[in-house]
Amino acid sequence: MTLALSVFLCLASGYLISALGWPRRPSQSDFLALSFLACGSGLGLFSFVYVLSRAAGNAHLMATDVAIFGSLLVTFLLTRNRRPVHLAETGTGWPPGFAARRTLTAVFLLALATALYASITRLIVHPHGEGWDAFSIWNLHARFLFRNGSAWSAGFSPLIPWSHPDYPLLTPGAIAHFWTYLGHETQAVPAVIAIVFTFATVGLLFSSLALLRGRIAATLAALALLTTPFFIEQGTSQYADVPLSFFILAAVSLLCLHDAFAETGSDGTKRLLILAGVNAGFAAWTKNEGILFLAALIAARALTAIRKATRGPQRPIASATRKVLPLLLGMAPALLVIVWFKHFVAPPGDLFHDRALAIHKLFEPARYGVVLRWYAKEFLRFGDWLLIPGTLILIVFYLLLNREAEPPAPGLAGGFATSYFALSFTLAGYFVIYLITPRDLYWHLRNSLNRLFLQLWPSAIFLFFLLITSNVKKSAQSSEHFPP
Amino acid sequence: MVTQQPKNKRIFLAIAIFVSCCLLSTIRIIGNAPRPAQLQPDTVAKRSDQRFASLKAALPAHGVIGYIGESGVAGTADYYLAQYALAPLVVDTSDDHPLVIGNFPDRPNPPSPLDLKLIRNFGDGLLLFSNEKAK
Repeated sequence: MTLALSVFLCLASGYLISALGWPRRPSQSDFLALSFLACGSGLGLFSFVYVLSRAAGNAHLMATDVAIFGSLLVTFLLTRNRRPVHLAETGTGWPPGFAARRTLTAVFLLALATALYASITRLIVHPHGEGWDAFSIWNLHARFLFRNGSAWSAGFSPLIPWSHPDYPLLTPGAIAHFWTYLGHETQAVPAVIAIVFTFATVGLLFSSLALLRGRIAATLAALALLTTPFFIEQGTSQYADVPLSFFILAAVSLLCLHDAFAETGSDGTKRLLILAGVNAGFAAWTKNEGILFLAALIAARALTAIRKATRGPQRPIASATRKVLPLLLGMAPALLVIVWFKHFVAPPGDLFHDRALAIHKLFEPARYGVVLRWYAKEFLRFGDWLLIPGTLILIVFYLLLNREAEPPAPGLAGGFATSYFALSFTLAGYFVIYLITPRDLYWHLRNSLNRLFLQLWPSAIFLFFLLITSNVKKSAQSSEHFPP
Repeated sequence: MVTQQPKNKRIFLAIAIFVSCCLLSTIRIIGNAPRPAQLQPDTVAKRSDQRFASLKAALPAHGVIGYIGESGVAGTADYYLAQYALAPLVVDTSDDHPLVIGNFPDRPNPPSPLDLKLIRNFGDGLLLFSNEKAK
């Protein structure tokens, strides 16, 4: 009973957070996207509530959850948007007829069943996670939070730097929250959270692309992610890379949805920007790389606004401020919690421990060559694909469909550019981290680069299909053969 | 209309190639998944929670304890699993603590360092020492 109540409070609160940011009365397709967003928002909220309750000495967790749910519900009922707003661009542009669609759906369902089977069997065999980081970092932190009572922060000790006590606490906090409801620890909780994040990422990719580009593009994109073996393996490993990839995708897709809604000239689309900021904040609360993404997103949003303003009569700084503020508003709660955690609870991380050495390493040209070579290698192999790399498949797909490259549809140009720059800046940030790493460079690259690429992979697929479908649509517009 | 049909063919071809390549990797996902006949949990619980259960009962609920064990990759894994099992205690790889655990799962006769006093041998390479000289 308490388990059912905790799941309901988590998902319903997550749904309300996402619905508060939605600019129109949800249609059936919207409901699908909102449901997947709810999984991440609910777990993110549960993590915040747990860690802050621990810090404040609040022992009434259920009452706090019910109060938060009630407040969200009242706010939603008072402020919900009842008007139907149509997206500027929802056409598919894809030519396959009904039979081909059914074949594609059948292939997708086959891939989904395969991925589900692999995930469940992996979790049965590895209930504590697959790989050292699961039990030496993420599940260990959950145990510290749950077992330590009022002395919860004692586990984040500089005496065990290998456990990365400076890592943010989204997944450990959410796990410990459910354990508290149950009254005991069970590995089923981190296992279910892992599987939820894995398939919610696929679902969010599908549903957000279905809204923007139709079902065929959405199915192809979801298929590309579902058939990435490393994504399925990592998803069930109980590491935090797939949860991070979920929140990065959520921020990126909401940003693009915002621009598509804004194109209609409807009011209230700024809510989507705030919601994108909330999800970027959750990304930062999931892993340190999420903090880098958050900074990259702010920089990218400001840059695209300044670029646009310099071409028109607007003042660049004012325009950038206007574009960035709603994002910052959404990020603010997470940023405050992260600053508090990093300043008052966690010991300093190991990456920036010796700043002089880090700066010295920046001036070693050989390190640039090594990192570049690994970037090139991993670009083709990080997904652990069979025979043909998924990245190569996308390139071939692009070349077959788009002989003449064109920019994305005007309604998406801002969101697409911001997301593209944000992912590029994040990749560049990872590059710099490798340059200055105090650890052995080869060891560090070997043990983490594939996971860093994986963090951005769902968003890269999303942007790819946004771009390519835009071009397919343009080339198909005059055709008489295409069914709607 | 004449120019559109080759375009359609190209799109069908592109989708067919794309889907086929994706399905190839599904073979790897199935191949890497555990077989139904082998669905036995791995040894993490056995090497951590189960192995340290009796020792944990003899330790304080909170605080920091020392740790000595094997070196090398296997020794590191044993240490991490000890910390995982004994949380919320913080397990420090140092013998400069009033209580120190010894973890030697592969040694039938685990060593007893001279400056530590053995409190109890839990078997299976698990020992509990006291260190009177600890700061």
